[in-house]
Amino acid sequence: MPEDLADIYRSTYRALVRFLYRKVWDAERAEDLAQEAFARALVHKPENARGWLFVVAANMARDEARRAARERRHLTLLKSEPAADTREPEAEMDAAAQRTMVRVALDQLSPRDREALLLWDAGMSYDEIASQTGLARGAIGTTLARARRRLVEAYEAGREGGGEHVARG
Amino acid sequence: MSHVDDGALHAYLDGELTPVERARLDAHLAECDACRARLDEERGLIERASQLLGLAQPPERAAPPPLHQLRHPRLVWRLRMPLAWAATVVLALGLGYYAGGMSFRAMPASRVGLADSAPAVAMSDENEAAPAHARTPAPSAPRTPQRAAATEAKAIIVGAVRQDTVAAATGAAGAVSIRVPELRPVPPAPAPSADKVAVQRETDVAAARGRLVATEWPVIRRAPARQLLGTDPVGVPGLAVREMRSSPAGDGVVLVEQQLDSATVIQLFQRRAEQLELARGVVTRGEAPAARAAAPQMQAYVGTERLARFIGPLRVEIAGPLTSDSLNKLLELLKPLP
Repeated sequence: MPEDLADIYRSTYRALVRFLYRKVWDAERAEDLAQEAFARALVHKPENARGWLFVVAANMARDEARRAARERRHLTLLKSEPAADTREPEAEMDAAAQRTMVRVALDQLSPRDREALLLWDAGMSYDEIASQTGLARGAIGTTLARARRRLVEAYEAGREGGGEHVARG
Repeated sequence: MSHVDDGALHAYLDGELTPVERARLDAHLAECDACRARLDEERGLIERASQLLGLAQPPERAAPPPLHQLRHPRLVWRLRMPLAWAATVVLALGLGYYAGGMSFRAMPASRVGLADSAPAVAMSDENEAAPAHARTPAPSAPRTPQRAAATEAKAIIVGAVRQDTVAAATGAAGAVSIRVPELRPVPPAPAPSADKVAVQRETDVAAARGRLVATEWPVIRRAPARQLLGTDPVGVPGLAVREMRSSPAGDGVVLVEQQLDSATVIQLFQRRAEQLELARGVVTRGEAPAARAAAPQMQAYVGTERLARFIGPLRVEIAGPLTSDSLNKLLELLKPLP
């Protein structure tokens, strides 16, 4: 079992971080949560570790979001000294703007569609997505089709409409 | 066979159809131009969606720690707490024995020497910007040139000497003691090899500078703090309040310093949120420079990213030698001080 988990750690860690990142939108936080999920797996030794990890990770990300909403708090990260040596290269600015636009587009998906899409992108099979989301296996294709279409449409709409604004912000 | 739906086409392209379903769909596609065209369309859609998700990648970071080194916070805590206590007790006894053997006159100098040799006291060392509480000599201590320089950096904290000596001793023994579970101190100063490390180091130094500035703020009592804020100041329940200070700029910012353990102090910068809220919404990471310029002057006190939250009428920022994750957790615990 520990060897199995070690293999899963090597093969899945990045995917789990990516999955979490698209929920919490903070790379450091995503890594912390991913590591905590694996640390919990070391203790719990779940049978289907890979699926279990994604369930735990999704729950941790959701708990955070819920708590934040419940307390109506605003958690902000401030950057001081805006003028000095913080100028990012053009490419990084572009990447950041694009990331923001994808984030905004993802936010426009229904939670279930978004979950299915992120799980698929993390390397999960239809079977795994079905057991994770509670959707029927036969509905996964339709769900993914809808999620992909909405993502692309929302992104294109954002780029045409508010793209300038987003790129500056 | 009637035309296929989008879901089946996506499952087909994702390689998720059973062999039987796949054969049936292949047969249909062979004779249906419309569905073949749609298949191409959906293939483009899948590629585009995947490409967009690829734009939302976390930045590449250093390799994660090996699996067996991952620490489950609660387990680690269970082990760490008794160890920290044991180390503290041993050191307290040792220090008492050590101090007991010295003449009264010689003692302060020795203590300064001890503080100098402690390897893990300050999170960012090297220059005068190191945290004041770990560097300040006893007022009566003879000053070496370095000591004098540190003093010139205005790093004096009233009444902090005794705690600091203990802190130095704790650091010397390498004990990591944290009172609140699931907290991780910022790792000891890393070897300056990678660029990333260097950047981190700069922010540490900048943060330390910010702390120096803040430790010059006048100490105030509870009542004036309450008056400035219009409500009770907030803090982490159960932690000792070391000092309360007010910003010399007269901008209504109150600083509450709390002792996390013998070697760690957290700072909570707080002020009424109302004026702030009128001026702007929530400032998020990556916001336009103009919006950031309109952000509160509080951020100028520390040259680094600072976590903040609103608690009732207050806006509170937290700083301390802990990871942002740990600071974030502490931030969630804040309550009005009793």
